[in-house]
Amino acid sequence: MTAAPAPRVALFVTCLVDLIRPRIGFAAIAALEAAGCEVIVPEAQTCCGQPALNSGDRKTAEDLARRAIAALEPYDHVVIPSGSCAATVRVHYPEILEHDSVWGPRAHALAAKTYEIMAYLDEVRGWRPDGVALPATATYHDSCSGLRELGIKRQPRRLLAAVDGLALKPLAGEETCCGFGGTFCVKYPAISNAIVGEKAAAIDASGAELLLAGDLGCLMNMAGKLHRDGSPVRAFHAIELIAGMGDGPAIGEEA
Amino acid sequence: MTARADILARLTGTATPAGIAAEAAALLIAPERPRVDPAQVEETFLARLTLSSVAATVDRIATLADLPAAIARYCADQSLPLTLCVPPDPRLGQCDWTGFTLHDRAAPDEPAALAIARCGVAETGSLVFETGAAAPMLPNFLALHHIVVVPQVVAYLEDATLPGAHPRAHYWVTGVSGTTDIEGTYVRGAHGPRFLHVIRLG
Amino acid sequence: MSFATRVDEALADRNLKLAVERTAGTAEAKRTLAVDAFPDFDAARDRAAAIKDHVVANLGHYLQAFEANATAAGAQVHWARTAQEACDIVVRLCKAANAKSVARSKSMLGEEIGLPHALAEAGIGRIETDLAEHIIQLSGERPSHIIWPAMHKTREQVSALFKASHRAPHEEETIAAMAESARRHLREGMLAADVGISGANFLVADTGAVCTVTNEGNAELSLVPPRMHIVTAGIEKIVPSTGHAVHLLRMLSRSATGAPLSQYTTFYTGPKRALDRDGPEEMHIVLVDNGRTTMREEGLAEMLRCIRCGACMNHCVVFRQIGGHAYGGTYPGPMGAVLTPAFDGLKQSRDLPNACTLNGKCQEVCPVRIPLPTLLRGWREKSWREGLEPASLRSGLGTWAWFARRPRLYRAATATALRAMRLMGRSGWLTRLPLADGWTRYRDMPRPTEESFMAQYRKGRRS
Repeated sequence: MTAAPAPRVALFVTCLVDLIRPRIGFAAIAALEAAGCEVIVPEAQTCCGQPALNSGDRKTAEDLARRAIAALEPYDHVVIPSGSCAATVRVHYPEILEHDSVWGPRAHALAAKTYEIMAYLDEVRGWRPDGVALPATATYHDSCSGLRELGIKRQPRRLLAAVDGLALKPLAGEETCCGFGGTFCVKYPAISNAIVGEKAAAIDASGAELLLAGDLGCLMNMAGKLHRDGSPVRAFHAIELIAGMGDGPAIGEEA
Repeated sequence: MTARADILARLTGTATPAGIAAEAAALLIAPERPRVDPAQVEETFLARLTLSSVAATVDRIATLADLPAAIARYCADQSLPLTLCVPPDPRLGQCDWTGFTLHDRAAPDEPAALAIARCGVAETGSLVFETGAAAPMLPNFLALHHIVVVPQVVAYLEDATLPGAHPRAHYWVTGVSGTTDIEGTYVRGAHGPRFLHVIRLG
Repeated sequence: MSFATRVDEALADRNLKLAVERTAGTAEAKRTLAVDAFPDFDAARDRAAAIKDHVVANLGHYLQAFEANATAAGAQVHWARTAQEACDIVVRLCKAANAKSVARSKSMLGEEIGLPHALAEAGIGRIETDLAEHIIQLSGERPSHIIWPAMHKTREQVSALFKASHRAPHEEETIAAMAESARRHLREGMLAADVGISGANFLVADTGAVCTVTNEGNAELSLVPPRMHIVTAGIEKIVPSTGHAVHLLRMLSRSATGAPLSQYTTFYTGPKRALDRDGPEEMHIVLVDNGRTTMREEGLAEMLRCIRCGACMNHCVVFRQIGGHAYGGTYPGPMGAVLTPAFDGLKQSRDLPNACTLNGKCQEVCPVRIPLPTLLRGWREKSWREGLEPASLRSGLGTWAWFARRPRLYRAATATALRAMRLMGRSGWLTRLPLADGWTRYRDMPRPTEESFMAQYRKGRRS
């Protein structure tokens, strides 16, 4: 690590992690601290506004964007354990506030210092897990927003490669959407089900014990389908393994 | 207002014709394209012709005088009679067609038609044709066997384009008529030629 | 029929699923090989997008140049504001030519403006000469894909259609024999047609040429023998020169089928010349707006880049599950979900831009870099503004947004929600959720922990 002072990093946990799986947030804190960051969790955070943005409710999306910007801009960096929420801040906040002479520049400034967590650990901090071991086989699904809007592909794999004993198995169609799509999965459940059914079959066929990804929404979709279909595959957010928390309960397992 | 005036009224711009032309020209500088080695234009062309998507057979002749013999070879290979639809091209009139039955109008079920391409294109294995008094178009699509003489080969599609005023039709043939419309299964000879035979001249 | 009903029917049709996988899956694999073999496909996509943007920005200039050069070559150019005007022009020309039958070479614009229907209304016989369009004509359906319109038909269905209508149909039940039967049947029709009708892949401004691309050669066989050739083309099909067309052709064929070039690429410039041995006596070109100038004015200019390759639908997870007919418009898949609201109105088609996961794959494969997810999001915003989204969604999202703006109340509300969700099951999984039936009908929901992250963090938990 560098001798430079620890950056003050705001953790934006995301609404799904806050509600459904807090341990992803704690894993994020552990990894960021191990990577030499001072982690702050701003109290005023709720949701990045993605559901409104993707439903066409532009006014609400802009409103929530302004609130998030105000809550997050005082820090050196903002780190988010979700590719799609990070893409909302990095890509879409500047777009939707472009017309706003006050908030447009602030959106750009925030976007420039906001990162998906694995991209941040890998590319900004140059950090690798040290002394983390998990003897298991896993397969990795590339969630769409992270992959296509933020270019997240090799970063999680580089970090996971440093977990002792963990073997990654290839997933056929690893870049194919799982059918979650935010509100899509409840607005068009039958189509979503057909898509995630194929994804679950591909995950099973990989022969891996664990399914990893970087977005809780996609993970809930895939894990929920795998469980309904009776698959033994267990699902984790990749940051849980990277932070040494891969020996705990998987998604859907009681602590 | 007429439809023309109505549509154009909504498409007015401020750019000058010279400015537009300059921008259009700039868009063609150093286009991305599959590289054809300038020293291997001929070899590349011949290799493209035999790709499964083009699926042509190839023969070579030194001069046009050798053409009837080359066609006779092909017809023998394919068990075809020596009956041929031939365009009214003066270059072909100088060949010795003894033994052949020639005609210049294609029948609806024409077995074989001969044509002289202007050139071949190494990039794609395409054969380039233009219509004219000596070059009808229809026989090249009606015949089951399309036999094409290729007098020269260029590297890229751009090299095959025509400057200035165009003939009625300028067309590139890159293989045989094919379809995958029934269950995605590839079938040759969907409407036009099922066989393409290229005779490289020179 | 509603979108939901069409989707249910499509999902229940196992034949459809197999057919879509076979065709789109093969196209996907072949495109990948072709793109990987191309030296710099990303830069080529930038250039293709720039060419189309240049044309759309200077469309008035180029349309007039095209008109002048096509006219100089002896073609007659017509202009149509609407689908109706375009159909009227074509019907009038056919009647003036005393046409009993027309041979049509597949054109999506023809489908878009309802030309098959208009010709039927006018009592003009029509044969579709593209093999897939021929199948569709016999079955009385609409195309389900812009490149493979009959992709949803099985060989058994095709066989039955041909046996019922071909004079000397195939005897052997092979696809080759069926194609041969169609070859015989269609060739008669093409050679007897009075008028040939095509679309255009490109209109070349500096020569006045119309370019068509086919693999079957049916365009040439449909357009050379008849007395008259009528072209119907969208005004966005213009390219400045043949060289620009060459660049787009390289992108089109690779993106559509993975081939370096389609089998037959033809540039038609005017009618038969004095000494020509064949070709039509008259050539008419109908330039069709049908909403394109409005798209250009109202934020959909990027959609006018589209060269109709079909890559977006071949790579779309939704299209791969529901096929083309479920979209209910002329154009299916992501490009159709952008175009159909523009053509048919958003009210009738608001589902299309919503029935998309915004995964971005379509944009990734688009040869002209159309930002399809952004354009689809634009339709969602319009639908929201115009109050077309369902009341349940509006109120649900409204309630959530009200709390999301108030972090303290949000924490209290989420704590209550968590307690309620905890009560709905005892294991780690919830199998039924009253307000999320769309989720639990097909998959289980992980049961949340007792306290939210923020609550635990506030109590001092750090790891």
